[in-house]
Amino acid sequence: MRLANRPDGFGPVTRLLHWGMAAGILGMLAFGLTLVRMRMSLATVWLFGLHKSIGITLLALALLRLLWHRVSPPPGPLGGVPAAQLALARWTHRALYLLMLAVPLSGWAGSAATGIDVVVFNTLTLPPIVPPSEAGAKALLTLHHWLTWALMGLLALHVAGALKRSVLARDGTLSRMVLGRR
Amino acid sequence: MRLIAALTILICGLGTLPAAATSATARHYALQTEASLVGYETDFGPDKITGTMPVTQADLTLDFHTLANCHVAVTLDASKATASFPFAAQALRGPLVLDAADHPQITFVSTAIHPTDTGAIIDGDLTIRGVTQPFTLVATLYRQHGTATDDLTHLEIHLTGIVHRSAFGATGWAEMVGDDVRLNIVARVAQTGA
Ligand code: HEM
Ligand code: HEM
Repeated sequence: MRLANRPDGFGPVTRLLHWGMAAGILGMLAFGLTLVRMRMSLATVWLFGLHKSIGITLLALALLRLLWHRVSPPPGPLGGVPAAQLALARWTHRALYLLMLAVPLSGWAGSAATGIDVVVFNTLTLPPIVPPSEAGAKALLTLHHWLTWALMGLLALHVAGALKRSVLARDGTLSRMVLGRR
Repeated sequence: MRLIAALTILICGLGTLPAAATSATARHYALQTEASLVGYETDFGPDKITGTMPVTQADLTLDFHTLANCHVAVTLDASKATASFPFAAQALRGPLVLDAADHPQITFVSTAIHPTDTGAIIDGDLTIRGVTQPFTLVATLYRQHGTATDDLTHLEIHLTGIVHRSAFGATGWAEMVGDDVRLNIVARVAQTGA
């Protein structure tokens, strides 16, 4: 099986990364929103560790995805739509990449600033990327909060765009991300 | 049990003390650090977080004759505070609660001592995170296990008090962890020199 992307289609690595991370990120958004509304106790406090562990995994996958797309560039968009729409899609993808890095990094930095270690799946203790400080913790976790809202807004736009092309225009945009071909 | 067997005597009080004590004036005591414990407890949802803080220094002058001569000064090491689970200890020492990196010491200095039926009420100034607030400890004094009834050279003092942590700016995780931190201190002291 050919793993790489082709000029006219997405290879399996890109598709797996796209859908795996999509599931992970959507799940983490719901998880995070639930987490901050829960009444914590000794029985539930480990959920913070799980949120951080999955978030760091998604950060690693985002870096892997950027690296993979250097090795094997994804195909350009299908034509047939106005240039402004293509530009919007391109900038949305760039902003999504930025947020795939900035959301977990702000979570990591905000956690480090509280003075609590970030321990990935109870095994790997990450270095604190910012020194502990009260002002830093508040600012960075507020940033984490607003970046997740920016991510939700962009995702709504991204999904709307994908559905517009696949359901309304039926031009194969979705199927080539799902199946690799139109 | 030691406490049941122990004779409760009035700290700095008059009248109920053995004759030997009332004739004594100011006595200095040193804390028996290994036999003493500063414990705390706070609410964490339906559960509790408990832990301890080591005492770095304690100066006690007890005058069983003249109330005004009593003086207590205690310093705790915030940077070595413990908690019942690892993340809580890091949170406790971190910048959102004790801020031990910038304020490694917690201090208490008494300002006035009032006798009660079972011991004493100790008013003083408590400093946490560099913020000083008035604070009250309730003390009960016991003889130490195995000492004679009139022996005041070795004492066991139980102290309780409630710290409202937000008053000291220790506001971290306020939505999950209680504002009231209940102190439970067991201080065993031995008389030194004069
Ligand atoms: C957290 C969720 C998501 C993120 C971060 C995300 C991100 C991206 C990015 C960055 C691309 C560009 C290709 C690449 O670099 O991999 C892309 C393409 C695509 N996404 Fe998503 N996506 C998400 C969820 C979804 C969902 C739920 C759908 C389905 C409705 C979807 C449909 C598509 C389609 C059809 C493409 C291909 C566009 C093209 O042909 O150029 N995505 N996505
Ligand atoms: C893709 C990755 C991530 C997503 C989508 C995500 C999403 C969220 C969301 C939606 C919230 C709720 C924010 C609010 O409404 O206030 C949240 C909270 C939180 N996240 Fe993340 N997160 C991610 C990664 C991380 C990482 C890597 C860490 C730390 C290593 C982290 C630490 C936290 C913490 C500590 C909170 C609670 C903040 C508070 O109490 O105000 N997150 N996250």
